[in-house]
Amino acid sequence: MPEFLTDIAELVWPFSIALAWVLGELVHRIAGLPRITVYALTGFVLSHSQAGLLPLPGESAAMLIANIAFGLILFEFGYRINLRWLRANPWIAASGLVESAATFAAVFAAAELFGMAALPAMLLAALAIASSPAEILRVVNEQRSSGQVTERALHLSALNSIIAAFVFNIIVGLWTFQHSGSLLGAVSNSIVLLAVSGGLGVAFGFAVPGLLRRLGTLGRDATIAFAVAVIFLCSIAQALNMSPVLAALAFGFVARHRRVTLGQAQRNFGALGDLLTVLLFVFIGATLAWPRIASGIGIALAILGARLVAKTAAVVMFARVSGTTWRKGLLTAVALSPMSVLVLAMLVRTREMGIDLMDQLAPLAAATLFLAIAGPLLTQWAVKLAGESAEKEE
Amino acid sequence: MPLETFKSSRPLTLGVELELQLVSLSDFDLVEASPDMLHLLERKRFPGNVVPEITESMIEVSTDVHTNHGELLSQLHRIRDSLVQAGDMLNVGVCGGGTHPFQRWSERKIFSKPRFKQVSGLYGYLAKQFTVFGQHIHVGCASGDDALTLLHSLNRYIPHFIALSASSPYFQGSDTLFNSARLNSVFAFPLSGRAPFLLRWEDFARDYFERMEDTGIVKSMKDFYWDIRPKPEYGTIELRVCDTPLTVDRAAALACYLQALCCYLMEGIEPAPAEDDYLVYNYNRFQACRFGLDGAMVHPKRHEPVTIRDDVLATLRLIEPYAETLGAQAAIEHVRRAAQEGNDASFLRRERQGTGSPEGMVDAAIRRFREGCA
Repeated sequence: MPEFLTDIAELVWPFSIALAWVLGELVHRIAGLPRITVYALTGFVLSHSQAGLLPLPGESAAMLIANIAFGLILFEFGYRINLRWLRANPWIAASGLVESAATFAAVFAAAELFGMAALPAMLLAALAIASSPAEILRVVNEQRSSGQVTERALHLSALNSIIAAFVFNIIVGLWTFQHSGSLLGAVSNSIVLLAVSGGLGVAFGFAVPGLLRRLGTLGRDATIAFAVAVIFLCSIAQALNMSPVLAALAFGFVARHRRVTLGQAQRNFGALGDLLTVLLFVFIGATLAWPRIASGIGIALAILGARLVAKTAAVVMFARVSGTTWRKGLLTAVALSPMSVLVLAMLVRTREMGIDLMDQLAPLAAATLFLAIAGPLLTQWAVKLAGESAEKEE
Repeated sequence: MPLETFKSSRPLTLGVELELQLVSLSDFDLVEASPDMLHLLERKRFPGNVVPEITESMIEVSTDVHTNHGELLSQLHRIRDSLVQAGDMLNVGVCGGGTHPFQRWSERKIFSKPRFKQVSGLYGYLAKQFTVFGQHIHVGCASGDDALTLLHSLNRYIPHFIALSASSPYFQGSDTLFNSARLNSVFAFPLSGRAPFLLRWEDFARDYFERMEDTGIVKSMKDFYWDIRPKPEYGTIELRVCDTPLTVDRAAALACYLQALCCYLMEGIEPAPAEDDYLVYNYNRFQACRFGLDGAMVHPKRHEPVTIRDDVLATLRLIEPYAETLGAQAAIEHVRRAAQEGNDASFLRRERQGTGSPEGMVDAAIRRFREGCA
């Protein structure tokens, strides 16, 4: 009998994925919701904290696969970012910097208004800077959208994610210093993590194209080669206790700027990427617990409001001077809505430093759930209104 | 509606239209950027004319009417600079080339304009397949009769223009082994090919156009996709076989090669065109598309084989004096170098080999287009 039970437990993840996929297809077709929204909701409902079906995310074997799925998306994301654009059109970079600063200030002010202490408020504000690259890229690919709103949302999301990671690390350093009194311990932890994870990615970015060139497979589709490399890279990073997503992002960046040696890769890594995305977003949904959400819902909404206003004001301000219209500027800001704490939580591994973000920043859980549903929807809505999604041809 | 009268224009004046690719600098695939580009270009006075094309990843520019190479080239340079500048603001690369090497036609979007939607409705996938990029050259003619005579006199030179401009060796991700794969997309249209052999405008209007119109197949000259067609409202003939070259310099040189050639043909030194000239026409055109300058064409009157390269070089020697009077020596020199050193298709194949990827080839095309940019 106990043996039988173990077998059932092993079915939990495949079952959740199957259910999430079916629901995703149905709801996408009927209501037009982005599929990832449905996956996240399914994960949320089935999770340990709610239905009690899924094991705790951090303790399950799904962690590595989720990391790999994340890695694939972030590799592709890094591969699409053209840093030269920021040089050719400095207004894009300016818009990103101002937008990040404004978001930080607005969210910090809103959090303080609700009586949060300064340090947690700053941490929250730093996290709010980032627009989740994974969600934006998934929606862009699902809609097959292209145009200025799409391009700008992707590039601004890259910029603000990097800024957020940077600011967040500084604040975590401060936090650790306050708690432990050891400045070195506070700083070295995040610096080592950033350096080693990034370094791994950069090394792959040089080695993989070189290897492909040797193998002479350049003319062919490089999708499998990249997928294998990302899986390998993420596993190494996780084994070393480093950040797999950061490594994958760096890999994508470097591979892209050495692009001339690379063949084409399929968007989303084809069927493999689609499959892993189901798992990833079910996993993300499963990290959320309702009691925490309920406790933070008021402040979460205030913070999200402040964030949206700050991003909108800053991006719209630079819209015309950076070569687009006011309207597309506004839609770009809306497209930047998705916020995923998991990216940064994985990026900085605060739990190992004795900080549990979800415990200490209660509004975060609420904000994450809200944006898990609303974020992709807003992005989808923005690219559709901008006329940038591909026409339906069913 | 009967065919409009042929508007007389000054002989040998020139106008150039270029269909250009809009490429994402993020992944080097075509990108649906023409609405954004047109929006941005509207803000400043554009040094020419710019309009949308059938799919949103194409843009068409055209020059004013010019009489000589220097003016034409200088306007094309200004047009190029404006485009490159706007593209830089939007993360969009602008480039020539008759096809994009790896775009998928099914990904393209039809530009929102009634005529384009109507064409797309009629032709189905052919319309999106038609995301190919050509150069059109207009040459002014005094009368409709002159235009038709000149049009048919040019028949044996069509392979020259195909081979010299060819810049579409890759299509939908594969090497086609052609120099100009683009023209294969054009041939798919039912009203492509050559104009009927009629040398008087009156006959053309009455015996051909009116009868075609009666069948209900065509409404205007726009519905014909011929290699060269008369354009009565401009008073020109329009050569449509060229791929868009990788540089505006080559575009200007090809236009002035045509101008000098027309000048020579109008002298009446060559034997008059005849219906039988067209016996070899499709074969020669295929040779030019497939093998470029190395293609073997058959002389329509003497029925002797000659490589297209040799025929171009021989023609250049013949028309040199006419080019001189038109101020087109630099253009003739450019064409001679192109004939000797190879066309853009061979440049692209070399880049594909050297960089090891189709993206690298597109990148090289973008850099080539902006060479010498202000």
